[in-house]
Amino acid sequence: MSFFRLRRFAPALIVAAAALTLAACGDQYPNSTFTHFTDNNRIIGALWDRLVFFGTIVFVFVEALLIFTIIKFRKRPGGAPARQIHGNAALEITWTVIPALILVMIAVPTVRAIYKTQAKAPDGSLKVEVIGHQWWWEFRYPELGVVTANELYLPAGRTVNFQLNTRDVLHSFWTPQLGGKRDLITNRTNWLWYTPDSSLAGQVFNGFCVEYCGSSHANMRFRVYTVTADQFASWAKHQAADAAGSPAAAATASVPVAAASVAAKPAAPVVAAANVTAAPAAVEDPGYVFPADKMPAHTVPATPLPSGDRAIAFDESVLAQGSATAGRELITNMANLGKAPCLTCHVVKGEMAMVNNDNARGPNLTHFGSRHTLGGGLFKSDAPTLARWIKNAPHMKPGSIMPTLGAGEFNPVTKQKMASGLDDRQIADIVAYLMSLK
Amino acid sequence: MATTAAIPATGAAHDASSESGLWSWIATVDHKRIGTLYLFTALFFFLFGGLEAFLIRLQLAQPNQHLVSAEFYNQLFTMHGTTMVFLAVMPLSAAFFNYLIPLQIGARDVAFPRLNAFSYWVYLLGGIFITVPIFFQVAPNGGWFGYAPLTTIQFSGGMNIDFWVMGLQILGISSLAAAFNFITTIINMRAPGMTLMRMPMFTWMSFIVQFLLVLAFPPITIALVFLLFDRFFGTQFYAIAAGADPLLWQHLFWVFGHPEVYILILPAFGLVSEILPTFSKKPLFGYHVMVYSGIMIGFLGFGVWAHHMFAVGLGATADAIFAMATMLIAIPTGVKIFNWIATIWGGEVTFTTPMKFAIGLVALFTIGGISGVMHSSAPADTQQTDTYFVVAHFHYVLFGGSIMGIFGGIYHYFPKMFGRYMSEKLGTWHFWLNFVGMNLTFFPMHFSGLLGMPRRIYTYDAGQGWEKFNLASTIGTALLVIATLVFVINFLKSRKGGAPAPNDAWGAGTLEWSIPSPPPDYNFAEIPVVTSRYPLWDLKHPEMTADLAHSGPDAMTITDAHATPVHEETGHKTAAELGIPMPFPTVKPLFTALGIVIMFGGLLFMHLDKFALAMTITLGGATLLVGSLYAWLTSPLE
Amino acid sequence: MATAEHTHEHVHYTATGLDNRKIAIWAFIGSECMLFASLISTYLIYKGRSIVGPFPHEAWTSPAGQVFKPILNIPVTSVSTFVLLMSSLAMVLALAAVENRGKPGYVGTALGNSKLWLATTAALGATFLGFQAFEFTSFVHEGLTIRTNLFGSSFFTLTGFHGAHVTVGVLWLMTLLFIDFKRGLTPKDSLIVDICALYWHFVDVVWIAIFTLVYLIK
Repeated sequence: MSFFRLRRFAPALIVAAAALTLAACGDQYPNSTFTHFTDNNRIIGALWDRLVFFGTIVFVFVEALLIFTIIKFRKRPGGAPARQIHGNAALEITWTVIPALILVMIAVPTVRAIYKTQAKAPDGSLKVEVIGHQWWWEFRYPELGVVTANELYLPAGRTVNFQLNTRDVLHSFWTPQLGGKRDLITNRTNWLWYTPDSSLAGQVFNGFCVEYCGSSHANMRFRVYTVTADQFASWAKHQAADAAGSPAAAATASVPVAAASVAAKPAAPVVAAANVTAAPAAVEDPGYVFPADKMPAHTVPATPLPSGDRAIAFDESVLAQGSATAGRELITNMANLGKAPCLTCHVVKGEMAMVNNDNARGPNLTHFGSRHTLGGGLFKSDAPTLARWIKNAPHMKPGSIMPTLGAGEFNPVTKQKMASGLDDRQIADIVAYLMSLK
Repeated sequence: MATTAAIPATGAAHDASSESGLWSWIATVDHKRIGTLYLFTALFFFLFGGLEAFLIRLQLAQPNQHLVSAEFYNQLFTMHGTTMVFLAVMPLSAAFFNYLIPLQIGARDVAFPRLNAFSYWVYLLGGIFITVPIFFQVAPNGGWFGYAPLTTIQFSGGMNIDFWVMGLQILGISSLAAAFNFITTIINMRAPGMTLMRMPMFTWMSFIVQFLLVLAFPPITIALVFLLFDRFFGTQFYAIAAGADPLLWQHLFWVFGHPEVYILILPAFGLVSEILPTFSKKPLFGYHVMVYSGIMIGFLGFGVWAHHMFAVGLGATADAIFAMATMLIAIPTGVKIFNWIATIWGGEVTFTTPMKFAIGLVALFTIGGISGVMHSSAPADTQQTDTYFVVAHFHYVLFGGSIMGIFGGIYHYFPKMFGRYMSEKLGTWHFWLNFVGMNLTFFPMHFSGLLGMPRRIYTYDAGQGWEKFNLASTIGTALLVIATLVFVINFLKSRKGGAPAPNDAWGAGTLEWSIPSPPPDYNFAEIPVVTSRYPLWDLKHPEMTADLAHSGPDAMTITDAHATPVHEETGHKTAAELGIPMPFPTVKPLFTALGIVIMFGGLLFMHLDKFALAMTITLGGATLLVGSLYAWLTSPLE
Repeated sequence: MATAEHTHEHVHYTATGLDNRKIAIWAFIGSECMLFASLISTYLIYKGRSIVGPFPHEAWTSPAGQVFKPILNIPVTSVSTFVLLMSSLAMVLALAAVENRGKPGYVGTALGNSKLWLATTAALGATFLGFQAFEFTSFVHEGLTIRTNLFGSSFFTLTGFHGAHVTVGVLWLMTLLFIDFKRGLTPKDSLIVDICALYWHFVDVVWIAIFTLVYLIK
């Protein structure tokens, strides 16, 4: 009979578990759910503490009892013979009642927390429509006339009320450090609200899709910038404006008041609306953008570009020669290339509209140049990456609905080589134009 | 095993039951052979599902790796879940249902031997049907939960999902047919005196599982029928443009999916409830409470499905009700754990390999149970669901629970099935590698989940705080691979080379140990009469069962003059010599199963726009089905 | 006893004294209950969710101006429901005729004529299927197919599944009738008739639920 070696292994296991636990507390964990940055996470944190408290007691008690029992009653020479006990009603009632009492102590705060977190959002909260797409996030601020993608600006200290919808399959909206998740269900509307603390201004948080949604589920990420109320107002005002260089922008530049009143609809909450209208309305004002160099490393996308024999060849030297004017021409009229123009899927506010925000399949590009990420938060938004993205997006992001546009490139979704398409020079023009859309 | 190895083996005796050759297996209707077939097939699929898991872990060992593509990764995790649930753990349990239930209740076979063969063949063919596509990289890729609308033709145009929908339908037929069979077997085939409250705990837990199967499979069958109709015939059940509600799928799926969890775990609970008393030399503590808590778990299991949906926005009241119902389940589960510990308490514990695995189940399942209560707290769950914390939780339940219990069961019943012991030395290595590997794989997942790592992602960025946990998990998986190899070697070597085992290999108290190892095809030369819960201990160690209520069987129930009190047989004759009628071997169930699979398979051609071919194959399959079924029903059993 | 076991007349010992097949059919019916519960729930969940008509109880004008009348024809379905109910009565009489074969009051009377009652049951079942075929065809003519909307999908699937069950039942009854003609059903065969009857009554009860929940309740 082999010797039972639990005793020898148990200390090692306990040390290992403790080391893991310590490691979890001491290091940098930028997506930890154990934060107290929002009201939502504080409620969940309090519940979690209770769960861990009782969980630990039960764990230690049961495992200690088990280990004690198997050691004490192991068969030994000269040991006592087994006692033939068939049951004990009192004992069995005890270990039915005590767990039940523990569960009551968990159930009561749980039910309270359910009703607290799912109550109607407080009045005056900022409404943000979150719309899921395969595989990117659309964010709209209906009260401010802003439509953007994959990067969410929130004023710290103000409650934000998310209205969650999806245009295709199910997704789930999650910013671990700011609150619990909520699913985006087709043909249904869900709600989630939380209030980032005022002290959070100037921070960036990672967000994820956490409901499996197909090929690029892992590549459906977003960033949350928590900024001051003034910064938010400045950002929102600029984001609501027409795209740089568009005919509409040129027109509204001469009538700044009109642009401002479009942005601030009468129904908008007082704070934001006041800030927007009070700010100077000159279109040249670049508006606040979260400084890219202030983004902590964990929020900067690190997806490597396809490399080796999978690399997308692009002559980066032509990027410097890119012409925004020529790029704008290409975007608004690609029909001569035998391609669908970009604007059949994307909206650039102020330019010719082929689709509206509700049936656009791609992200709104009006202020693309003010964003730091690309492709559902997958890549850093810089000229060389953007150029390759335009050349062959499905190769950079599995399943991407954005088609391959570069001449001679192979589209892994349709399994076809593009006979005609854009050359590197044309792509450089488009890159220059998109980057100019600050 | 010094004490037991001295007893001469009796399993070497040859008769019809040890007849070999491919045909004897293909045409068999013997529940023990079918159980053995289930065991081998399910172990194969277990290895296959494990390989898929290993690839998943290799991909995630480091950030931004591209060992496999996103598309193939999605197929891998879908098939890992589907394989482990439907092709490995459920059929491993079915192997024990088949082998043990008739032996434990003192029957010569199951109620419907040919239906039993049919269940196996449907399972085998369905398993092949759903597994083969992965070799062509067209395996199902919608997750084992297959949420609509992702699985509709609008978003999953290929044949991947078709294989999944049809494969699960086919496997459902197998499970349902088996469940009807075992319900009837347990209700009707018990030996005289084997009252319900004398049934061994494994049979009891299996009994509950059969009811769960019978009631839980129809909802998923219907959910799959809708998906099949949507994909093939243009119905609108999950069509978003028609205003479909994706929660319809989720409700139907989880009304099945949650009882399914208990379908996976209760048989393991039953096995452990056989192993712990045997190696503690004590009867099971609180038999009645163990039965009632099993029934409670099964019953409550139908009322908690929406705890898989705490993030979908069912509303505060629904969330509160399902949260509390879920917590309730912790009570009967906790009772089981304490009763197991109490079973060991005061015993003379010998740490054989099966006992190690049984104790391992108690220790590890407890962890899964505790994290389960954490999920039941709905607001806390919104931070946990769809993260690696959930992956950690259910692997503690299904690996730490089901798989540990099943391994324990294999080591425990191997001497009965093959007449030889498995190696204790290799078994000990297997246990410890498994135990350490399992904890190293899944414990860090608690952290990666709580630290924000979503499930089902094929890659992740560096610097998110997840690297070391993922690396630890991958190293743990490597240990599990080694552990499993040790088990496979032990299993294969011991079949021919293990120490010979006597009838009563471990000194256990239930009926299956009173007959030769391996048992003759008729199991019991004479149907035993049972007077207590541990008939063999009555015989050998009356002091162990002295406190138990004994009574002769109710006179009303004895109609068989053959019934005699239980005794330990020492040798055996053939069924013909004893005049016991045995069912004829037949391949009709196999052809019936084949007809079903062909019927479904033919439909696939509809998606290749070959309508005429599809109809031809499907009708051909239907003809084979009806023809074989007719031949089956009109030919006598024995 | 050993010799008795070789003969075909041998009856296996069972713990409950009931035949295995009887237990199995009850387990099967339990499963079927969940099957139809899932189908009926789906119909009810999707009731009123269809974006386009036709609808079960209300008229609908399409965007193109075409008017669709309410689909469900309650008077016709009431008749078919009555037909199915009567088939259950015939089934009871068929079972009684087999069980009591040779007993006074049954010999030579219509009551003891199992062939008559089995044929009647099957014929009434077939009539119900005829009604269903008529109903389906007329719905298609009125613009409702299984692809039209959520109502069409859930209605046709639910009633189609029920119709398939009735079809299986009719085939089963005709098999029994065939056996009755070939060798005659005796009281020893009560069990196989009883099992068929259980199935048939179950299918009938399910229809009552469908008729109430789908047709009668608006």
